[in-house]
Amino acid sequence: MTDAMISLQGVTKTFPGTTSPAVGDLSFDVPEGAITVLVGPSGCGKTTTLKMINRLVEPTSGTIEVAGRDVTSLEAHELRRGIGYVIQQIGLFPHRTIADNIATVPRMLGWDKARIADRIDELVGLVDLEPEMRDRYPAELSGGQRQRAGVARALAADPPVLLMDEPFGAVDPIVRARLQDELLSLQERLHKTIVLVTHDIDEAIKVGDLVAILKIGGKLEQYDDPAEVLRNPANEFVADFLGEDRGIKRLSLIPIRTVDLERGPVVAPDSGMGEAKAVMARYEIDWIAVGERDRIDGWVSASDLDGGRIGDAPIRPFRTTLTPNSSLRDALDAVLSSHTKAAAVFDGDRYLGMLSLDRITEKIVN
Amino acid sequence: MLAQIADEPFIRWDWVGSHLDDIWSRTVEHVQLTVVAVAVGFVIAMALSLIALRWHRTYAPITWISGVLYTIPSLALFALLVPWTGLSFLTAEIGLVGYTLLILIRNIVAGVDGISPEIREAAIGMGYTRARMLWEIELPLALPTIIAGLRIAAVTTVGLVTVTALITLGGLGSFILRGLQRFFTTEILVGVVMSVVLAVAIDLVLVGVEKALTPWARHKADA
Repeated sequence: MTDAMISLQGVTKTFPGTTSPAVGDLSFDVPEGAITVLVGPSGCGKTTTLKMINRLVEPTSGTIEVAGRDVTSLEAHELRRGIGYVIQQIGLFPHRTIADNIATVPRMLGWDKARIADRIDELVGLVDLEPEMRDRYPAELSGGQRQRAGVARALAADPPVLLMDEPFGAVDPIVRARLQDELLSLQERLHKTIVLVTHDIDEAIKVGDLVAILKIGGKLEQYDDPAEVLRNPANEFVADFLGEDRGIKRLSLIPIRTVDLERGPVVAPDSGMGEAKAVMARYEIDWIAVGERDRIDGWVSASDLDGGRIGDAPIRPFRTTLTPNSSLRDALDAVLSSHTKAAAVFDGDRYLGMLSLDRITEKIVN
Repeated sequence: MLAQIADEPFIRWDWVGSHLDDIWSRTVEHVQLTVVAVAVGFVIAMALSLIALRWHRTYAPITWISGVLYTIPSLALFALLVPWTGLSFLTAEIGLVGYTLLILIRNIVAGVDGISPEIREAAIGMGYTRARMLWEIELPLALPTIIAGLRIAAVTTVGLVTVTALITLGGLGSFILRGLQRFFTTEILVGVVMSVVLAVAIDLVLVGVEKALTPWARHKADA
């Protein structure tokens, strides 16, 4: 990689009183403007590796460069003021308001008051905190709000590099998924160089542009984009770590919009019994969708058809609907949990088409 | 003599009324002795605590020495000091300051040590130097514990000041001592009641100071 923002060369860390290194002879480059995820089982040295970048841990040997400069060429605290840092427990200062927490690094860098106040406003908006949170203390915020405040604080002085150590580990799964989405949309606007540590392979696949899989002792087993890692695990360790459901995980990387949708077994409300039966026979199913052009009302079970106009039969809505940005994994879930064994895709109210199990498995095989 | 005591009313308000000036000046003396002792004790305790926090190995000997000071009976300590420093304000203060140290050092160190490690990690990770972190993060967060120590030290000192009556000082304690010597309950009661009022007043002032300095701690219960 030519445009490396962070570069590790032969980095080893042996903690005092231990014989085997926590990280052994690790070399890799982190590209600029991408999210690189360090993932692996506990004890694999991922957090140690992250902390060596901002010198919270000093390597035993090897060199680390950030933006082409050896990290030891600066005083440690000077270096750290130029690198955003987010930890799992967030570590907001309880005695300072959210605004004052966000102002931490700009104040250390000696920004003037007006500039700091403007920056706080900007960041509170950027991370989607309500403006009235500015003057609250951390103890008054929910877990998700604290996490957003922590990210705002890390971004305050606009550092090119952001280090995140299990940033979503302390929140419940629903909030975690939302915060992951927020990080991705934030990154679309900011293009920071982000190094994120997690033990959760699903998180790594979801948020990472690149995934570095580490084994105990800080050994880099595979370093590639998530799709490639899932398609071609470098060895048995990586395959095991990815889990048995590798094929399903790959689906989470493929958005529905990249797949050709079928029109599906749809008939107009004015159709009669004969037409409906023909369509059901062709698809080998016992239900039929009702709608016209880009509008769809729902579906009717074959047992509810009374021989009259299709539109007069009891129409049931599709339980789960998907958008073009949903992943094929979402689609699979919708298919498996629906009566119809098919997932309808909508763009707002507009019906785009249907995904069947066959069409999804086709993608896994390829 | 016993009959005489029995004849006396429990409190002679006329005595109280004719000694208001005396009561006021002794109260002022009591406050001075207390405030000087706690203030000087706090400065010394803070210095020793910073040493203990910076070099953790020094914590055990520092608390050991202040613990020994704390266990010397006050009467014995004043008696020991008189040959060197006389029946003076200094003698009183040496003793009084000595008794505040253990409480204050323990609370300052416990307050700083009790801060969650992630707050320190976040601070260091954002580029705080150790000194800056101490003043801006650690000491402010330790304030509730530090002030709790100050409250105990101040209330204890108000009580100990009465003992310095034995070296001719004593603030309100001088009433208690004289009252005991003359079997005069009114004077004893004035000394005792005023000391208690003073202790409660100083404690309330410190509670107010804590509330003013730690607005963030009040919100904890809401979360």
